Amino acid sequence: MRSRFNPRRLGRREFLGSTAAAAALATTSALPRIAHGAKTVKIGFLAPLTGEVAAWGLPGLYGCEIWAEQVNASGGINIGGESHMVEMVSYDNEYAPDKARTGAQKLIFEDDVKFIMMLGGDTWPAVQPVANKARMLVSTLLPSDLTPDTPFLIAPCEVHPIYNVTGVEWLAENKPDLKSAVICAQDDSLGRPSVATYLAAFEAAGIEMRDDPLFFDLSTTDFAPVVTKLLSSNPDILCLDTCYADYVHPIVEQAFIQGYKGQIISCTADFYEQMIEKTSAEFMEGFIFQFPDFDDPALNDPRINFADPNAFYAEYNKRWPGEWSAVSWEYASILDLWKAGVEATGSVDPAKVLAGMKAGGVGKHAFGPARWWGKELFGIDNALVGDWPVVVIEGGKARIKEFKSIPAWWDKHGDIMIKHFTEMGEMYHQRA
Amino acid sequence: MPDAVGSRGGGGGGKLAYTLIGLVLLYALLIVLPHLVSFSQKEILVFLTINVLVVVSYRLLTLTGEWSLGHVVIMGVGAYGSGLYAKALGVPVPLAMLLGACTAAAVAFVLSFPLFRMKGFYFLIGSFAAGEIIRLLWKRFREPFGGPKGLKLLPSFPDIEIGVVTISFFDPVNYYYFCLIVVSVSLFILYRLERSRIGLTFHAVHWEDRLAEAVGVNTWRLRTLAFVTASFFAGLAGALLGHYLTTVNPNQFDVEQMVFVLIWVIVGGTATFYGPILGVVVLTVINEIVLRGLGVDQARPLIYGAILVATMLFLPQGLESLVPKAKALFTGRRPAAPQGQRAGAE
Repeated sequence: MRSRFNPRRLGRREFLGSTAAAAALATTSALPRIAHGAKTVKIGFLAPLTGEVAAWGLPGLYGCEIWAEQVNASGGINIGGESHMVEMVSYDNEYAPDKARTGAQKLIFEDDVKFIMMLGGDTWPAVQPVANKARMLVSTLLPSDLTPDTPFLIAPCEVHPIYNVTGVEWLAENKPDLKSAVICAQDDSLGRPSVATYLAAFEAAGIEMRDDPLFFDLSTTDFAPVVTKLLSSNPDILCLDTCYADYVHPIVEQAFIQGYKGQIISCTADFYEQMIEKTSAEFMEGFIFQFPDFDDPALNDPRINFADPNAFYAEYNKRWPGEWSAVSWEYASILDLWKAGVEATGSVDPAKVLAGMKAGGVGKHAFGPARWWGKELFGIDNALVGDWPVVVIEGGKARIKEFKSIPAWWDKHGDIMIKHFTEMGEMYHQRA
Repeated sequence: MPDAVGSRGGGGGGKLAYTLIGLVLLYALLIVLPHLVSFSQKEILVFLTINVLVVVSYRLLTLTGEWSLGHVVIMGVGAYGSGLYAKALGVPVPLAMLLGACTAAAVAFVLSFPLFRMKGFYFLIGSFAAGEIIRLLWKRFREPFGGPKGLKLLPSFPDIEIGVVTISFFDPVNYYYFCLIVVSVSLFILYRLERSRIGLTFHAVHWEDRLAEAVGVNTWRLRTLAFVTASFFAGLAGALLGHYLTTVNPNQFDVEQMVFVLIWVIVGGTATFYGPILGVVVLTVINEIVLRGLGVDQARPLIYGAILVATMLFLPQGLESLVPKAKALFTGRRPAAPQGQRAGAE
């Protein structure tokens, strides 16, 4: 039956014509709105926008778009006394090395970007020779990509997975009766260094591991046996390491189904509202992770360097309701640091900007003053490390409980971390 | 390129002349092509050329009637093997590539013993399981495979110095030409193999294996030959990829990538030699150039899926079925179905 909303049949030519017009319109409307004639500086965004790792790419791009609009609305970036508008150029690398290399070449040689932001991980090794040859400044969210051979790669925001020590430290201080743990992770370049970090943090806190870490393959879809194995040793703490959101959700759901009553700690809890819906507010109460919602009142503290986090969060949720994730603010906060480096040096030259960002060995991390660090663990001081928040779900809402110092933990327990990184084969000299 | 098994001797010198002219024109285009596209498209061209070898080698296996889900893992064996020979043992990269391909062929030969006890659907599942075992071994053993992160900082193909001129294979155009030569030679060998008596027997094993056995054909040996040969060339493709990216990791060769190979082959069609090539070229251009050019990055999987569904509905015999129709348009004759489709119908 012909729909009453379709009074005449659409011809093939009309269909093709209208589709092409719609595509053209979509393309042009997607272009950033930049004042005519204004000078622009382009920034590359090379991360997974589709596929199973997209949750750690796409929400970050959304955040960058808000950042760029806000910067442009306030006059742009001052480079050597001249105002430049910011233009974000993205490329979906699908978390594949070949796509990442192609994307890096496009961004550098066709789009003429002055800075590239990446998630890192599996995609970085294919980009490394391209970036090194072009002397392009690149940021990663995964400092485990850093080695002495990566002078232009920086980790200025997320010092994954080192900040996970703060959650365990807080847990040990506030729930000292919890004395045993189990841990699982996907078997990849995010999961393994994170497991080494958690093992070090548990050891430093005097928490016993009930079993060896359980690594599951990325193609795992049935988590019932995984959770059954984990819970079989009756641990006080179930640690979900740095599992992707696609794994955290079914694992938590399984733990709920299998009647687990203990503590859960995780690096992330992206889209935790959905987990609460699938389980219960009571079950999720006390869930510890590391990534705050930016409407948290604790982020209004004067030491926070991220500009007006509450307004950013509100704007983000207005545009993309329910899409807030661990990375929504991270790439934007990296842009803050890069902008400060550019304005301080009056140049977009990668070497100069890097020197400007690292001046004095300190920097303004989103969560407060921080220092450039990493020589002992990564072979190069290209990670910006300071305080990191410990976030707990209370009454169905994520709340920052405390900011804890990563450098302070490292000064006390760095040797334990190096021991576990070495055992896991994650030290920089083992990764070459 | 002419059909796989048809037209032997038919048409005579005229057809050969047309074929030669077509090949000359095709290679003229392929030589000029990198200078007509953007920098990133040159990169895509390199990967596309490598993938052409992957799909054509896959088709060789399908000639005997078996569809494998382990072909991409075998490609990975070539990549890992070549990378390890070059990095850990210091073997020159060109030789390491050949050794990597031989390793892939050797692994396939070993796998053929359990796998060719199965046929059809069971072979498909068996090949998937064998592939996953290999992939999980790469993940499990940090020495020598690098564990989940795989291998990185693999040696690149060495620069060539001719007088004052240095040819760097970091440059995608130079590496594309190198791949074009390697893949062309490989395709020629695969084509000649298919047109040979052995190749014709592959078809017999596919369509009438009981009859072939009854007349003294050793079907197990022929299936193994096809599997090992296809794996050699898949391994060579993996080696080409590994030394260009200078990194390999287990996730590059997972079942998702295998699904892409299947899609390229199915959409292109397997009745002719050129069918899978059409599939990989058309779908790569749509996915990597047209859709990215439209700025619809996030909608690409959706649109790509829609194109696949449309292809299945309106071109059930693959893109290769368009070629006889296009020929008929020029000649004014009735289009003939590709040889494999005729054989299938019979």
